[in-house]
Amino acid sequence: MLIYTINRLLQLIPVVLILTVVVFGFVQALPGDIIDSLGGQEAVEDPEVRAALEKEFGLDKPIYVQYARWVGKIATGDFGKSLITRRPVSVELLERIPATIYLALVGIGLSLVIAIPLGTIAAVRRNTKFDYGAQVTSLLGISIPEFWFAILCVLMFSLYFPILPSSGYVAPTEDFAKSLWYLVLPAVAVGFRQAAFTTRLTRSSMLDEISKEYVDTARSLGLPEWKVIYKYTLRNALIPTITISGLQLAALLGGTVVLETIFAWPGIGLTIYQAIQLRDYPVIQSGVLILGVMVVAINLMIDLLYRVLNPRVQLG
Amino acid sequence: MMEQAPGTRQRVDVLRPDETPLRVWLHRLRQSVVAGFRELRRSRTSTIGAAMITFLLLVCLFTPALVTHDPIKTNYRERLAPVSAEHYFGTDKFGRDIYSRVLVGGQRTITISVLAVAFGMVLGLPFGVISGFYGKAVDAVAMRFVDGLLAFPGLLLYLLIVTLAREWKLEGFWNDLILVFALGFAFAPQVARLARSTALVEARKEYVEAARVMGERNIMIAFTQILPNCMSPIIVTGTVRLGFVILIIAALSFLGLGTSPPTPDWGADLSAARDHMESHPMIAVFPGLAICFSVLAFNLFGDGLRDLLDPRLADR
Repeated sequence: MLIYTINRLLQLIPVVLILTVVVFGFVQALPGDIIDSLGGQEAVEDPEVRAALEKEFGLDKPIYVQYARWVGKIATGDFGKSLITRRPVSVELLERIPATIYLALVGIGLSLVIAIPLGTIAAVRRNTKFDYGAQVTSLLGISIPEFWFAILCVLMFSLYFPILPSSGYVAPTEDFAKSLWYLVLPAVAVGFRQAAFTTRLTRSSMLDEISKEYVDTARSLGLPEWKVIYKYTLRNALIPTITISGLQLAALLGGTVVLETIFAWPGIGLTIYQAIQLRDYPVIQSGVLILGVMVVAINLMIDLLYRVLNPRVQLG
Repeated sequence: MMEQAPGTRQRVDVLRPDETPLRVWLHRLRQSVVAGFRELRRSRTSTIGAAMITFLLLVCLFTPALVTHDPIKTNYRERLAPVSAEHYFGTDKFGRDIYSRVLVGGQRTITISVLAVAFGMVLGLPFGVISGFYGKAVDAVAMRFVDGLLAFPGLLLYLLIVTLAREWKLEGFWNDLILVFALGFAFAPQVARLARSTALVEARKEYVEAARVMGERNIMIAFTQILPNCMSPIIVTGTVRLGFVILIIAALSFLGLGTSPPTPDWGADLSAARDHMESHPMIAVFPGLAICFSVLAFNLFGDGLRDLLDPRLADR
């Protein structure tokens, strides 16, 4: 296990390397002069200021030196300054991360609460009306664009039946009850699509488990059916479900951009979106990098956790 | 449809030995198509999916004949008109005919998606087949590379690339080309992974040995013998991926990062519809339904196809 962990950590190196190269390359590939992109509107005309800026950004050096210096800076937590607010990018981004994690966690939690019972019952009552219903619903769930679903939800619950706020965010540390109030619609929008995925997965892994021999053994021993299902089968069937949900959580961190935009949810996705609108390149660059690293790190943790939960999986 | 269909495998050629190769080929093609359709009918899901896809492709093909209005021509006398015989889906805030916009936008979206998925296959398939066929060091290096790419959060990559496209002021055809490239490139590692795992199994089969005995060169075996046998899982993934790609394109243009405004686009039209959602919710309905229909079509077909091609999963 230790060797495997070390191996996996070593595998992170090329991944993070690719990430940094892509993100670094992004700014390099912007049209025009980098000083114009990074320096904002002022300080473009005067050649002396240009030279000074070139020196400050290290643009007088060859590109691989620039890259190395940039990576070096990032390693010490210096992500540069936002062109718009002039605050350090790290501060700007770090204060936005909790909102994204909050939304993703609640969304995933909600999806599990819906999907596990639904998938299990669908598998146990295979080929019944319930099963078909669950299958059709989950197929629809993965086919509906989430932003459209979100808009329809807002239309329904904020305009026609004005019971929920259409957008906004209140930190849970500030006012917990109110924060839940604002969370409902975004979380449902996130959770619905996830629930559709997870239901399909739970159903198929449940079917897989039910057909195994230990289930026949348990039944022939005269154990009641509910015990066979809920005590033995479900536990095993949940291993892939939980794993995939973990990976989905990682994917959500980078994928809630659209929903955060719709619900004005001040997470890291909305920050990146606004930065794209305002051409705030340091924020885009660092935002994508930080999110990317977070996604990769969570993936790794889930993978390691999976091996702990399921020792039968071969290490290597 | 597929070579693997049981009906085709046991086929008996009732042709005379002196037939021309072309006629033999045609005869076999006809038989496999007939057998393919017979197979397809066994799965209700894939039959429905196939019907929906056929409808979708036909509509895309005949879009020029089906549109009733110029999709970008504004008409301020008929702003936000309701559904009528003149405007089947009503008009948007500029008085443009939504029905025509949905059709033309769909043609573009479907074309981009199909090209992107095809590009991903062309890129990933040979990579994966070679990796699986040669194994050992080639495989280890190639798969680490693929792992690195797979770990990269997709949506973030698209955001970066689309932002770059916007900064370079790429429009129309070039913008679409960038989308095809980005979406296809992101799909390639998945294809490579899948092709590699099939190729690993296929490379140990007897027909490969036979080809070797006949003095076939390795690279020829990999591409003419093994590659065709790796196709079926890839076609399934590709079909499901098509739906996913449509969702991504819609999400990006919903964020305002797609083509520039007058061009009809499902995502962008949905985003524009939000301004008038309170008074005219119908304008937000049709583009959304169109996305839903297309994604559902590919998901259904992919699901059914997987059941047909992988009998082990058939009753799930």
